[in-house]
Amino acid sequence: MSFIRKLIPPDQWKLPVILVLALFTGLAAFSFHISNASSYLGDRPETCVNCHIMAPQYSTWYHSAHKGKTHCNDCHVPQNNAFTKYFFKAKDGLRHATMFTLRLEPQVIFIHEAGRSAVHRNCIRCHKELLTDSKLMAYNINTHNNRMERSCLECHRGTPHGRVNSLSSVPWARVPLPGPVAPDWLRKLTGTD
Amino acid sequence: MRPIQEVLKERPWLGWIIFTVTAALVFLLGLLASTIVERRAEAVFAYTPQITFSQFEPRNEKWGEYFPREYDTYMKTAKVDFRSKHNGSAMVDMLEESPRMVVLWAGYPFSKDYRQGRGHYYAVEDVWYSLRPGAPSEGNPSPLPNTCWTCKSPDVPRMMNEMGAAEFYRGTWDTKGTEVINPIGCADCHDSRTMNLQITRPALIEAFQSMGRDITTATHQEMRSLVCAQCHVEYYFNKNIVEGVQYLVFPWKNGTSVGEMETYYDDIQFSDWTHALSRAPMVKAQHPDYEMYLTGTHASRGISCADCHMPFISEGGVKFTDHHIQSPLNNISASCQVCHREETERLIADVYSRQDKILESREILEELLVRSHVEAKKAWDLGASEQQMKEILVDIRRSQWRWDFAAAGHGNSFHSPVETGRVISGGIAYAQDARVKLARLLAVLGHTSEVPYPDITTKAAAQAFIGLDMDKLNADKKAFLGQILPQWIKTGKERELTFDDR
Repeated sequence: MSFIRKLIPPDQWKLPVILVLALFTGLAAFSFHISNASSYLGDRPETCVNCHIMAPQYSTWYHSAHKGKTHCNDCHVPQNNAFTKYFFKAKDGLRHATMFTLRLEPQVIFIHEAGRSAVHRNCIRCHKELLTDSKLMAYNINTHNNRMERSCLECHRGTPHGRVNSLSSVPWARVPLPGPVAPDWLRKLTGTD
Repeated sequence: MRPIQEVLKERPWLGWIIFTVTAALVFLLGLLASTIVERRAEAVFAYTPQITFSQFEPRNEKWGEYFPREYDTYMKTAKVDFRSKHNGSAMVDMLEESPRMVVLWAGYPFSKDYRQGRGHYYAVEDVWYSLRPGAPSEGNPSPLPNTCWTCKSPDVPRMMNEMGAAEFYRGTWDTKGTEVINPIGCADCHDSRTMNLQITRPALIEAFQSMGRDITTATHQEMRSLVCAQCHVEYYFNKNIVEGVQYLVFPWKNGTSVGEMETYYDDIQFSDWTHALSRAPMVKAQHPDYEMYLTGTHASRGISCADCHMPFISEGGVKFTDHHIQSPLNNISASCQVCHREETERLIADVYSRQDKILESREILEELLVRSHVEAKKAWDLGASEQQMKEILVDIRRSQWRWDFAAAGHGNSFHSPVETGRVISGGIAYAQDARVKLARLLAVLGHTSEVPYPDITTKAAAQAFIGLDMDKLNADKKAFLGQILPQWIKTGKERELTFDDR
C-alpha cells in the first residue's frame, strides 16, 4: 500500500496531474471508441472487417459453405479454453493492429505458423469423425502418416477463402463497414447525416 | 516527497523534460487516433464505388464503365449457344415442342406464340418480336397493357420514379414503346450509391405487405433471391385497384403454394380468360419460379438463386459475382460442384432424371387436358346447360392451373421435384374428375362414343384447329417490326442523348 501512497502526488501537484491524466484518458477513450475496441471481446465476424483489408477474407467466407455454421474465431482462435482463447486473441490482435496502423500489411496476406496450427486444431475440433472413422482408415496403409502427421491445410488450401486472396481480389465486395463515428444526434445537429 | 516547485528550482531542465515527454506522448496518441479515423474513412472509399450516375440511369453500359467485370459477364447473357436436354440459352419454340399447349391456351395470346425466353440481354427484344403483344400501329393499339413492360427493363424504375407505378401501368403496351429500350440490367437490382441489392418493383414490396411481412428486413442472402423474385414469380393484373389501370399484383396474400394462390383467385373470382373451346374460366399461371424454389431442398438449406445462377468466379486474381446469369448446367464446376463433389456427368444425369420424370407426368396431364377441353366443347355443342357444365369447368380450371404452375416455371422440376410432382398429380386428379363427369354428361346428351382427339401433331396443325389466322398475325408483326419498331428505338436513343451523364 505504501507503494501506491507514494504514487499519490503532493497537494501542489494534484491539479496539473489530474489534468494531464484526464487528457490521456480522454484521448485513449476516443481511440477506444473509434476503433470499436469493445467489439474485439466478442465473436462477431463483422468485427474482423473493422480493418477493411480483411474484406477479401470476410467476403470469401461469407460465400462459402462455412458461413452460417462458423464465425472467424471458430477457426482462427484456439477454442480449448477461455484463457488461451483470449490470450491468443490479444496477441494476434495487437500484432494485426500494429501492422495495420503502421501500414505494413502486405498485398497478399499469409497465415503465420501459430495461426496455422490453431486453424488445424479447429478443423479437427469439428471434423474429428473424419480422422477416427474406421471405415475410412481401413484401406489406407499411410493412414497414420496422412492423418496424424500432416496439416489439414496442406490439401484443403482453398477452404473456405479460396486460393488467391490479395487486398485487391474482391473489389466492391459487399462487406459490413464500420458506421459513422459521430453519434446520430451529433450528425443531425451538424447536418452531416 | 518534496513539492515539485522545490525540485524544479534546483533542476530547471527536469521541467523541460516533463514538458517534452508529455507533449510527445499526447502527440503520438493523437497520431494513433487520427490513423484510426483515416483508415476507417479509407474503408468507405475502398469498398464503395465512387460513381457519378443516378439511380435511374437505365443504360447498362454506363454502369459498366465502373464495373467492367460485372458488365462483361452480364453481356454474356447475349450468348445463345447452350442447349441442355430441355432448356438452355437458345430460343426454344415451346408450342412446336408441345403443340398441345396451343389447345390448352385457345382464346389466350399464348396460343399464338410461346417461345422460351433467351438471356436477360434479350428481355426487350424478345417482347418486340413476340406475337403476344400484337402488332400495334396508328389507331390500332396492342391488346396488352403497359404492365407487361414491368419486368423487362431498367427504364421501368426510371419511369415509375417520374410518374408512379399506377401511371406507368396505365395505357396499352404500344404507348410506352419509345420509353422502354434497355434490357434488364444493373438498375433493376442495384442501389447506385452502395451497389447493395435493392427491390425496385413495387409489386414485390406490396406482396410482402399483403402477407404481413416487411421486405426491408431481408438479409443479404435473402436479397440474392428476392431481386429475382421481382419478376420470376406468379402474378396477375388487377383492374380494381386503380381505375382504368391493370395493376400488377402477386397473389401471395394467403401464401405462395399452388393451393393458397388458387384460393386467392377463387375468392376474388378471378380469371385471365374464358377458354375458347371449353368456356372454362381459366387462370394462366405465369412463372412461379421463386415460389417453387422456396419448397425445394436448396432453399431450405439457405441457397439463394445467385449461388447457383451467378456463382463467384475468379479472373486474374480478382473474385467477383458472375453476372452471366444462366443455367447452372452450363457451369457445373462453379455452381454444383462447390458443394457436390461428384463427377459432372453424374450431376447432369441427376438433373435430367428429375426433369425427364416430371415431364413424363406433365405430358400425361397435358393430353388429359386437351381431351377435357375438346369433350367440354362437344358437350356445349350438344346443348349442355350452364348448370350441367359448372362443376366440370371448375375441375378444368383447377387442373390446368396446376399444369401451368408446373410447366411455366422452367426450373421447377429441378428446383423442387417433389412439389412439382405433387402439383401435377393434383392436376391429373382434377382432369380425370372432369372427364368422368363429362363422360356421364355426354351420355345423358346421347353421345356415348369417344370424342376424337384432334390432329395437333404440329404447332401449325394445332393453331389451325383452334382457328388462328397465323398468316395475318405474322404479316402484321412483320409490318410492325419494319415500320413502327425502328421509330421506337430512334426516339428512345434520342431521349438518352439528352440525359445528363453527371
